[in-house]
Amino acid sequence: MIKLSSLFWLVLVSMTSFAMFAVKYGVQSLEGELNRVKKATISEEHAIRADEAEWAYLTRPETLDEMNRRHMSLGAIATKQLRTSIIDIPLRAPAPIVVDAPVGAVTEQPPESAALTVPTSTITPASPEKPAEVMEPIKPAPAKTLAKPAPSRRPRSLDELIAQVAASR
Amino acid sequence: MTIATQRFDDNPCRPRHFKPPPCVAVIPDGPAKQALETCRTRLLVTGGLFALVFAVVALRVIEIVAVGGGTAESQIARFRMVTAPLPSHADIVDRNGNVLAASLDSPSLYANPKQILDPPEAASKLVSVLPTLAAAEVYAKLTSGKSFVWIWRHLTPAEQYSVNQLGIPGLEFEHEERRVYPDGDLTSHVVGYTGIDNAGFAGIERGLDGVLRGRREPLQLSLDLRLQYILREELQRVIDDFTAKGGAGLIMDVNTGEILAMASLPDFDPNRPTAPDPEHPAVPLADRMFNRVTLGVYELGSIFKIFTVAMALDCGTATVTSTYDASHPIRIGRFTISDYHGKHRVLSVPEILMYSSNIGAARMAVAAGAQTQRDFLARLGLLKTPKIEISEVGAPHYPAKWREVNVMTIAFGHGISVTPLSFATAAAALVNGGILRQATLLKIPDGYEPPGQRVISAKTSEQMRRLMRLVVEHGTGTMAAAPGYVVGGKTGTADKISGRHYAERKLLSSFVGVFPINDPKYLVLTMVDEPHPNKQSHGYATAGWTVAPATSRIIERIAPLLGVQPVDESSPEVQRALMVESLQGKRIEAY
Repeated sequence: MIKLSSLFWLVLVSMTSFAMFAVKYGVQSLEGELNRVKKATISEEHAIRADEAEWAYLTRPETLDEMNRRHMSLGAIATKQLRTSIIDIPLRAPAPIVVDAPVGAVTEQPPESAALTVPTSTITPASPEKPAEVMEPIKPAPAKTLAKPAPSRRPRSLDELIAQVAASR
Repeated sequence: MTIATQRFDDNPCRPRHFKPPPCVAVIPDGPAKQALETCRTRLLVTGGLFALVFAVVALRVIEIVAVGGGTAESQIARFRMVTAPLPSHADIVDRNGNVLAASLDSPSLYANPKQILDPPEAASKLVSVLPTLAAAEVYAKLTSGKSFVWIWRHLTPAEQYSVNQLGIPGLEFEHEERRVYPDGDLTSHVVGYTGIDNAGFAGIERGLDGVLRGRREPLQLSLDLRLQYILREELQRVIDDFTAKGGAGLIMDVNTGEILAMASLPDFDPNRPTAPDPEHPAVPLADRMFNRVTLGVYELGSIFKIFTVAMALDCGTATVTSTYDASHPIRIGRFTISDYHGKHRVLSVPEILMYSSNIGAARMAVAAGAQTQRDFLARLGLLKTPKIEISEVGAPHYPAKWREVNVMTIAFGHGISVTPLSFATAAAALVNGGILRQATLLKIPDGYEPPGQRVISAKTSEQMRRLMRLVVEHGTGTMAAAPGYVVGGKTGTADKISGRHYAERKLLSSFVGVFPINDPKYLVLTMVDEPHPNKQSHGYATAGWTVAPATSRIIERIAPLLGVQPVDESSPEVQRALMVESLQGKRIEAY
């Protein structure tokens, strides 16, 4: 019994000692690896900071302005180029619509759905003197703010001006 | 044991050398038996404790290896763990995150002269790879007998590599941080610069040195780099066109006090603050380091009239329809006050501002009184040193005794010297509804309205907006107009003091512009020092010909960047917001 317990304790001590040393050296190895990774991270952080500073240097307004002058020649935005609201943007012009084209003059009948997209070059007029009529594109309605009010009498006071504005609405 | 020994010792027939063998059975009894039992018990307890502790250790090892998966941390300081060092100074960025100042890792070379084997050869080799060094100076350092001497601070990576290639024992590198400013002279007077040990010497670097130290997050300024570039470029253009001595300007958000751009020319490169400017080698260093916006105090001239008019309107000594006799110059003491754009007649308050009448402004101020004028200027913060995040600030100069002649001259901006920063802060309060807010170079969070102090009524502020619009529409500042952005402002052309007198040919031209004046958002202040007339200006060097056009160009360029939408200036809404009625119910154009 004593021999068995001694053997048990001996095995346990051996296993524990081995495990403890394995853990110790494993931890030391991991700590070394961690240090290496941390050093690499710090080095990368320094490199990133240097890159950010370099990027700031390369994209400073003076450099961009010089590059623009050399390669793009972009100018400042003029006030008239700015559209401040949606109603200032003109509507898209519709495609031209062909009307009253002689049937016999059409060399090939296009499908009905594509009538609006047929180029005018494919339509041969009945006679050179009478070309086929092409509907003028519909002009977009002028924007509300662009419409100038009808000339009215020049207001002589603030109250008169307010009354005129109210009446025009 | 003691009993058995005594028993044999007691036998008189015992041989002298005889001792009982150890295997002799000793049968304790009595006290000996009790002692043996005690020892056995103690032994068992001790053994049990050891076994318990050992079992705990064994279980812990098994847990770490088999169960914990290596999550346990070493408590032994066997390794010096590497930790990321904090930068000595935090970065400085503009309001859009663009880097204005950064700290970069930079090696510095030092030597231990006691370990240098051959100082002459070492000095010679060092000078060959670092040509900026002086051989004699390096040799003196290497033979100094000390154990530490700096050879060169802040080497580039290429220089460090070259020194390493020399393989000289006794040379070492110390890793330091170096402050770099990617935008160079563009933001020099705002950001400032640091010394070789990264101690702040000027600008934000000095004013907020304590904040920048040990801070990980970058410090965000209110500056907008794009606006800063535009302002500086246009100022430089004015200086070049009119061969001026210098210039200054700032762009401010009138509702928050944030300074979006601030430039003072000539300026310097904070990366090499003491190096001469290659483009202007004749400009002295002190002139380039001088911040004209915050440190310089100037008699700004006629742009001060906006304060005189605001004072008169706010304290009730004048209304928009009041009139003052400006038909003759005022003679007081040895001074004669006259008008540059004289109309030689009675002028209304709007006309006094439009035509920049010194006589009218002087009479208006006299009517208000010296104490009222002094109190009003003090309320606007013009009689004290401005507060801002940088330490280069100038105290105002004003008369200790406020006599009548002082009242008159101060009314049109002479006899009192303030910084352009103080002026802009006060002017912003006149147009933003009457709230004075401290100017700041730090970004204010979106939506936060900093507290302020009411200095004039909202009604007076509205009247001032209308009057300042008149100056640009019909007065001396017509060239500051930027169509669509409804600019209002005031020109100012002051004679500079030369000795004890005013020098007529030395002008200080300035313009304060606000846009859109019907709903004020931004203020642009431009100033040019000693401009000279040219052919394009038809012989004039006044503000209307120098800085007013520059303000127009600045506003046209920055307004799209600031998201200010152009409007139809002839629209009824704008006209109604800016209309000024005169005495007879006529519009001001009738004059």
